[in-house]
Amino acid sequence: MSICFAAALGHAPGITAWSDAAPPEQRAHLQAGFDTLRRDLEAAAPDELIVFTSEHWANFFLDHISPFCIGRADSYTGPIEPWLRVPKTKLQGDPALALEILTHCYANDLEPAYAQEMEFDHGTMVPLHFLTPAMDLPIVPIMINTLAAPQPSARRCHELGRLVGEVAASSSKRIGLIATGGMSHDPGEVKHGWIDSEFDRRFLDQMEAGDTSALTAYTTQDLFAAGAGALELLAWIALSGAMGAKPAKTLAYAAVKPWATGIGIMEYL
Amino acid sequence: MSLYGLQKLIRDINRVPAIREEYFAGSDNIFTHYDLTDPEISAIRDKDWGRLYRMGVHGLLLRPFSILHQVPEPAYLTAIREPA
Repeated sequence: MSICFAAALGHAPGITAWSDAAPPEQRAHLQAGFDTLRRDLEAAAPDELIVFTSEHWANFFLDHISPFCIGRADSYTGPIEPWLRVPKTKLQGDPALALEILTHCYANDLEPAYAQEMEFDHGTMVPLHFLTPAMDLPIVPIMINTLAAPQPSARRCHELGRLVGEVAASSSKRIGLIATGGMSHDPGEVKHGWIDSEFDRRFLDQMEAGDTSALTAYTTQDLFAAGAGALELLAWIALSGAMGAKPAKTLAYAAVKPWATGIGIMEYL
Repeated sequence: MSLYGLQKLIRDINRVPAIREEYFAGSDNIFTHYDLTDPEISAIRDKDWGRLYRMGVHGLLLRPFSILHQVPEPAYLTAIREPA
């Protein structure tokens, strides 16, 4: 098996852009989780990363929305936000692995879009900043439409993840899998600042149990009830598809009011 | 309502430096490039965050747009939470 590392973590811009606004004990708790992930990733020594992620109108607009889009570029740049306090960087891509994923998906009746040009926003750059600060690992980004209704179902995201996991597991390379986003939050919307910790804890429990039935049963409405940003957890559900029913471990969770987001950090050990 | 055109204008102002510059220069010419209704143009001119939100502009388009106008978060949230 060539999946040598797998983790899910939040990507709220406040984590880097206004980190000081968070209570020190919450920051320390989350930083410990990020540090554990970084150390484990370094120990696993992946050749490259496949990142299930979402964006915030950075690349895609309503002129053309697809449920899934796989990056096939030679390289990517990010972040697009000059205020994120993450240095703008050029990251290497892996178009060959991206094509392998696409081919396997198409052969199995799932047809993601693809793009040979893509920029990364905080949705991808904040997690990479903590996991691989040198930004020296090739990336294959898999964007999930979590913004524009209708969004893909949890079941379909899980299936995407399962197919990606098959490619990663049979690869001659050592692959790290990362899912970003969530947990409960309602950015820019009327419930902005509200965090549903009960929902977040339940979701983490389901990931810890490897409870595929529960994770794939989430409807768009179920996720939306925890805020529009909770739909980003579709990326986590895709990751769970890649990992089968394997249980994940929660490394940290905090409902960070100044970041207006429930931040979860999980790893498959 | 041409919500698509309205959101496209806001997204372009947020993302494209030349369009942002044209918008902040104050010329109404920018509105001719988009399919907009008169109420939508008025809401943009008035910087009426509440009306724009209730017209259906996505929060992750509207909040960055309001930030470009240096609107503090509490003021933005008060505006979008106002009843119609």
